[in-house]
Amino acid sequence: MGKYFSKGKWQYLRYTLTHPMDGYYWIRHQELGSVPVAILLVVVFAFCFSSNRLLASFVVNDIDPRSVDSLYELIGILAAYLLLCVSNWSVTCLMDGEGRLKDIAIAIGYATVPISLSLVLGTVVSQFIAADEEALYFMILAVGIAYGVLMMLIGIMQVHNYTLGKTLITLFITLVALLIILFLLLLLGNLLGMVYNFFHSIYTELIFRV
Amino acid sequence: MKKGWKIRRAVSLCLLSLVLAAAPLGVAQADKLPYDCYNYDYREYIHYTPAAYEPAGTISGKALTYDGEPLGAFVTPQDLCQAPDGRIYIADTGNHRVVVLDNAMKRVEKVITTFDNNGTEDAFRQPTGVFVSESGQLYIADSQNHRVVVLNEDGSLARIIENPVSESLEEGYVFVPLKLAVDYADRVYVIAQNMFEGIMVFETNGQFAGFFGTIDVELSLWEKFWARIATKEERAKQQLFIPTEFTGIDIDPEGFVYASNIDASGVQGVRRLNPRGEDIIKKGENGRVGGDLWIDGTTEFAGPSQFIDVVYRGQGIYSCLDRKRGRIFTYDHEGNLLYIFGGLGTQLGTFSLPVAVEDIGGRLVVLDATRGEIASFQVTEYGRLINEAVSLRYEGDETLAVDLWERVLELDENNELANTGIGKAYLTAGDYKLAMKYLKMGMNRDYYSVAWRRYRNELLTANAGWFLTAAAVLIAVAVIVKQRKKKKGGAANG
Repeated sequence: MGKYFSKGKWQYLRYTLTHPMDGYYWIRHQELGSVPVAILLVVVFAFCFSSNRLLASFVVNDIDPRSVDSLYELIGILAAYLLLCVSNWSVTCLMDGEGRLKDIAIAIGYATVPISLSLVLGTVVSQFIAADEEALYFMILAVGIAYGVLMMLIGIMQVHNYTLGKTLITLFITLVALLIILFLLLLLGNLLGMVYNFFHSIYTELIFRV
Repeated sequence: MKKGWKIRRAVSLCLLSLVLAAAPLGVAQADKLPYDCYNYDYREYIHYTPAAYEPAGTISGKALTYDGEPLGAFVTPQDLCQAPDGRIYIADTGNHRVVVLDNAMKRVEKVITTFDNNGTEDAFRQPTGVFVSESGQLYIADSQNHRVVVLNEDGSLARIIENPVSESLEEGYVFVPLKLAVDYADRVYVIAQNMFEGIMVFETNGQFAGFFGTIDVELSLWEKFWARIATKEERAKQQLFIPTEFTGIDIDPEGFVYASNIDASGVQGVRRLNPRGEDIIKKGENGRVGGDLWIDGTTEFAGPSQFIDVVYRGQGIYSCLDRKRGRIFTYDHEGNLLYIFGGLGTQLGTFSLPVAVEDIGGRLVVLDATRGEIASFQVTEYGRLINEAVSLRYEGDETLAVDLWERVLELDENNELANTGIGKAYLTAGDYKLAMKYLKMGMNRDYYSVAWRRYRNELLTANAGWFLTAAAVLIAVAVIVKQRKKKKGGAANG
């Protein structure tokens, strides 16, 4: 446990946030990142996301609180994280990417930090603003999200040792792969359901006959 | 101990039965009504409300007599209107006559079947619309005779409007007036059959002046795309994009025309047209004045509301009659939905084919064409409170409406208009904290923000000393920490 959550890992997370280019490079080449920390950060991000939707002030928040289910959102975000990592990994494997699955997981997980921070900061700031000061709130969110997306881009670029152009292309293919995985999952689910139904009907048939 | 408990139980039982016995005397019982009463909240969820109007009997032609003779049932009546003097005029279309009832709709005052047309006796053929102008003249849309007949109060002919001539009308155009309204200057606004260009306006002398309030056809990007790539032959076979026709018309004392139309998307079923023919209706928070919001589905019952008539009821309030589900939607001048009631059915208070609605001295009456009946509705406590409070707001005396809104909240605690009304009053009174509470419940973001800004200023000015001290301390701490860090860093480096 101590290995994954050691002080050094946290310090290196801070370094990566301020120096993403360098940070991600050494994560790939010197094992300075930590997958459990990355997963924890994604969980924290899900928590910040839900709490922003629930707690941001009435002035800026038009979300129906009845539509917010934090557990559901946590599962959704974790599933999206897993899908994104796996599909990116499966694409970059075939496209000379140097990153391993754990590097990709770290790259994406660490990139959620600025978004989480901006969500928390935005939620706090929203409590103090009135109408036509909303711009401040939305600017905080926009800066956070932009920084997060940029970090993710740099992260994927660095762990695979890609150029920017190639990163963008692989990201696009990742998206397509993601859809294919979803489609296959649906197909699999459907088939498994059919198999289950088959055995279930045999079972009921036997129950009725015997 | 046990005895005391028994006595208490007996007393509470007595009290309970008393309460139960007294309850029906209070507010109108929603479960006894043949229709649902509900409204849509800010999030467009349905919330059920007490009834704003309740059935108060029907008037059918069969029950009435005129000159000792039975009047006979109305046959597919199409329109009714109240004259400034209080009498009610009914276009008894199938019987080719206009029936005039007294204010209470108990007695037949007159039956107009013929009139003297310059020496010859002339009759109507399927009159579908009636309107009485402020000067007391009776306008009849004599549809199958292709004319509008104007009669004086004594029944003599004032003039006939027919054969409109204009360059904008097609060659051989047949004028079939359906519904009409007349403004204070005796300009006549006519809804004619198959006239998609808008409402036809006639000057006082009967001259056709032009079209009014044309509904523009709005093509979606997708439709435009298909229209562009289709060939001429294909386009000829396609459905034409024609605007919808107007269905019902009313006019307010200032000369603004309220006209209903059937909107296939359910967004806007009524227009308020200024004298230049521009639509200036306000559509409220959700941008819609089209009746029901929950219209999805594939059943017969799904689909947007179809407004067949509109009535202006004063103080900016107007009611629209939905043919699709037989409901009456009442809006205020800002386009807020005030209350909904009515429905299709066979019970008292429901309709088979509603065609016209009118406000008669605070009562709402709906004309049912299939049954040939007029259904009458009387206002309940709930409806009266809302009407009065909205009227006060319209006149700018919103603070006076607080008591009314508070009583509305007793009957319907989720009423957003009431919460907003009370919140605004607290805002004016300077109690910003309470104002924020009510405005939030009323989902009124703008006024909430105003209240919050003032509350914030109040807090800041009241506690300025504390805030400044805290800021000064924080800065001091930051400076000290920084200096100490520098020292430490310097020592480590050295």
